[in-house]
Amino acid sequence: MGSTSSDSDAASLAATLRRVADGDRAAFEDVYRRTSVKLFGVCLRILPVRQEAEEALQEAYLSVWRRAATFDAAKGSAMTWLITLTRNRAVDRLRSGGKVATAPIELAEDVHDPAPAASTLMEIGEDQQRLAHCLGTLDGGDAGLIRTAFFEGSTYAELASRAATPLGTIKSRIRRALLKLKDCLS
Amino acid sequence: MSAELPDDDELLAAELAFGLLDPAERQVAEVRLTSDEGFASAHARWQGYAAAMIDHPGEAPSASVWTAIEARLPANDSSQAASASLRWWKAGTLVASAAAVVLAVVALQKPQTIVERVPVAQQAAAPMVAVLTGKTGFVTVSFDPASGRMTSAVTGLDIGAHSPELWVIPADGKPRSMGVMNAAAPSWAKVPTTAASVMAAGVTIAVSVEPVGGSPTGQPTGPVILTGKLTTT
Repeated sequence: MGSTSSDSDAASLAATLRRVADGDRAAFEDVYRRTSVKLFGVCLRILPVRQEAEEALQEAYLSVWRRAATFDAAKGSAMTWLITLTRNRAVDRLRSGGKVATAPIELAEDVHDPAPAASTLMEIGEDQQRLAHCLGTLDGGDAGLIRTAFFEGSTYAELASRAATPLGTIKSRIRRALLKLKDCLS
Repeated sequence: MSAELPDDDELLAAELAFGLLDPAERQVAEVRLTSDEGFASAHARWQGYAAAMIDHPGEAPSASVWTAIEARLPANDSSQAASASLRWWKAGTLVASAAAVVLAVVALQKPQTIVERVPVAQQAAAPMVAVLTGKTGFVTVSFDPASGRMTSAVTGLDIGAHSPELWVIPADGKPRSMGVMNAAAPSWAKVPTTAASVMAAGVTIAVSVEPVGGSPTGQPTGPVILTGKLTTT
């Protein structure tokens, strides 16, 4: 995955994050400068209102500062760690409003999958394009369920209740989709 | 690519990464991450996939976000805080000359003295500004050669679902990207080194209309709508 130069970028980001763990503020600023555009995109994807997204971004970086020591380069890239942490903060904020967790989900085959437009895909990386392609091979609605889970922080139980569908049905449907996704991606 | 896990374990790793598990199930799975390497590596792989679901191209947040973050960092004692915030803006200056490096050493030992010294270093590289105009709207850019940072602001420009990208065009006529501007709010950014190295009084700064996220080629692909000259202050 990725070119040599992005690999060295990734290694240097991981090293900078380790300095943040030691309380190095200059390193923290460096991490912010290098990642805030991307991580703000994460926040905006989950919280489209700019002010909300900026507040989530702020909370995310404060978590980065506090929790940098828990980053382990052996367990994945620094960028994935940052994205995961930011997604979690943004989803916390989204759910603290209380609305999404109960908003109904339509399970019809022709359900609108909030997939990114092709023009957006041109702007994003190879990993995203591959994933978008594989999500596109899933049966109608399944990709939407996985996206809803990730972007709205909905568990199986919540998805089932929002879709007014038995929990077992939802679980087996998503599990089948996840295995298909795995085959497509590996 | 990786050792095969039984489907159930593979699924559990995926479910944990996508946030599908109930709190109790999640706790059990998280404990397993610490003891089962195969499971942990499957989880890391799924976390990578989940992260790749982010299909937003990204955007520069307002400058106020960083200010607010910095204000909420735990307070050091005041001298350390002063040196940290100076380092923020003066990092470029401090490495710019041997004399400044000496100052940096002094600053580390006696942070209070740098407050008087910094203006001297700034004189060596005066800030530069450009006002870019065109048919509609305008853009202001200020650039600090010492830190390599710029601030930029867009006023009265409507280019719909596109990104305004800033370029510096020196005497050789080859545009170097200074980055994509935030059309919604003023922002600061580090100017990429290739662009920063040619920033000088008299060069042209231009804004082109690019796809969201910036030119895919590294050269302007859309029309140039605003131009101006960089001048020293």
